[in-house]
Amino acid sequence: MCLGIALAASEIPNDLIDRHALRRRIHERGGEPEFRFLYRDRHPRLPVWRDGRLQIVRWGNGQKKSRFLPDTGWTWQATIDQGYWKNLNPAPVDIPASLGLERGVWYRIRQGVRGLLVPDERGVAVVYMICEPSSHYYQIMTRSNRMPTLIEERI
Amino acid sequence: MSGVCTKLLFMEQIQGMKAVGHLDADCFYVSAERVRDSFLLGKPVGVLGNQGACVIAKSYEMKAAGVSTGMPIWDALVKCPEGVYIKRDFRWYEVLSRLMLEVAREVSPRVEYYSIDEFFFTVAEPRGGSFQVLAESIRDRIWERVRVPVTVGIARTRTLAKLISDAAKPFGALAVVDRGAEERLLSGRPVTEITGIAGRRAARLEPWGITTCLDLARADRRLVRSLLTASGEALWWELNGDPVRAIEPRRPAHKALSRGGSFGESTSDPAVLHAWLVRNLERLIEELEYHGVAAGRLTVAIPYKSGQTGVGQVHLAVPSDRFDLLLDAARSALRKAWIPRATATHMHVIAEQLTHRVDCPGDLFEPPARAAQAQAVARLKRAVNARHGRFALRSAATQALGPIYRDAANAYDICDVRGKSCF
Ligand SMILES: [Mg+2]
Repeated sequence: MCLGIALAASEIPNDLIDRHALRRRIHERGGEPEFRFLYRDRHPRLPVWRDGRLQIVRWGNGQKKSRFLPDTGWTWQATIDQGYWKNLNPAPVDIPASLGLERGVWYRIRQGVRGLLVPDERGVAVVYMICEPSSHYYQIMTRSNRMPTLIEERI
Repeated sequence: MSGVCTKLLFMEQIQGMKAVGHLDADCFYVSAERVRDSFLLGKPVGVLGNQGACVIAKSYEMKAAGVSTGMPIWDALVKCPEGVYIKRDFRWYEVLSRLMLEVAREVSPRVEYYSIDEFFFTVAEPRGGSFQVLAESIRDRIWERVRVPVTVGIARTRTLAKLISDAAKPFGALAVVDRGAEERLLSGRPVTEITGIAGRRAARLEPWGITTCLDLARADRRLVRSLLTASGEALWWELNGDPVRAIEPRRPAHKALSRGGSFGESTSDPAVLHAWLVRNLERLIEELEYHGVAAGRLTVAIPYKSGQTGVGQVHLAVPSDRFDLLLDAARSALRKAWIPRATATHMHVIAEQLTHRVDCPGDLFEPPARAAQAQAVARLKRAVNARHGRFALRSAATQALGPIYRDAANAYDICDVRGKSCF
């Protein structure tokens, strides 16, 4: 289960940084700034591409802000395929990411991760990260048995 | 005779002095990843091998944090929590390796492809220039053309050239061709920095007060020979500026071929060990076929977690490259190498006593139909795999390794990069 992502700072426009007070999420790695979006954050958020625009949206429902959305941050691709989300008016989105984080391992992601965007009862957009059973490599690298579904990439 | 010598000396003077170059890419796998991914520049980066279990290459930033090559990822995370981990891709590394080789061949008529990121080559002192300028220009040309940082050392012998490039890393270029400068370089370096002198040989030298490279160069040649045999004496000559180890533009014929390596996940399961045996054997047979040789002896070596190594060796009735015959031999070698319930970490399958296939006699005691059938199966396997990809058709005994075959990165390894003289 991918517990967070990092995105190179150059990928996020300034107005978005100000609007969502993202500066506290800035970290440096090798002298380069990056934004870290972690599930354990007090306000878990993820960047998503929607209708050709980058947005920052709530990541999952771990803090139970919604009474009817599942209180997790992830969903299996298989669950989507089985139609479980069908009635919630879901939209597939791309979550841009430079790095993924799993059990302390930061690994390179070339484009991003697939996500599912759904509105909660107040119409607020909530994104769930889509995951799948780990590949052999991912399982050995992170000791996790599920991995995010990466965009046009297999590791 | 003396007339010929004078003439040769004179020729050398007009052509300029000859020397040996050594080129070594700096943290090659990481540099190769950075060529296609600028996000990684300046960051601590580790390339993972063994299916994700170990760091097989690290950037200087990660090295500074205390991560060493071969370290399990779980230890590396403790040392370098900010590290970025990537999967290895030997197909890509080979592409860049061959581009670097091309540049080396432009500057030298004689280049040895020593390893995927190290070459030795002969150079002549440029007219009106110097070896130092030449070393810098080779490094810069590789950087401009391939975008891989390398270090170049130039010296009178290959042993000196390698010591010099090791000393000049990273992105260095250094020519040391006069004795005074050589001695300064040798005086500060332990003998273990010489390729070919590891712990045991160094321990033999120590009681004689030989601990630095300069000690070794100044030691009595006969003493060195008695302590380190002829190969040690060769190093002695080389350290003293006499080139006795040739640059080999073509890899000498193999004495042995082997396939194998780490399992990634250690195992004590006989079914999994057997699957690895078959996988390694199929890869070994590809290699035998490529070189047109047959194996007279097969060895299976299995290092265990306990530190023990099990070894089994089988002589074949007649040299062979046939799957069925080699599998019989490999199975009985595996039985000898197997330690029940012990956890194995690696396996190597080694073919020795190689004979050119055309020189191989047939087995007089085998029914001809059986040989014909085995050859037909081998042909079919080659044809299918040539068309549909390596391992598309393989022995069902490899079934326990499904996840290994599903990952395309496992289909091409460092040993599959051919023509290198080292590994
Ligand atoms: Mg190197």
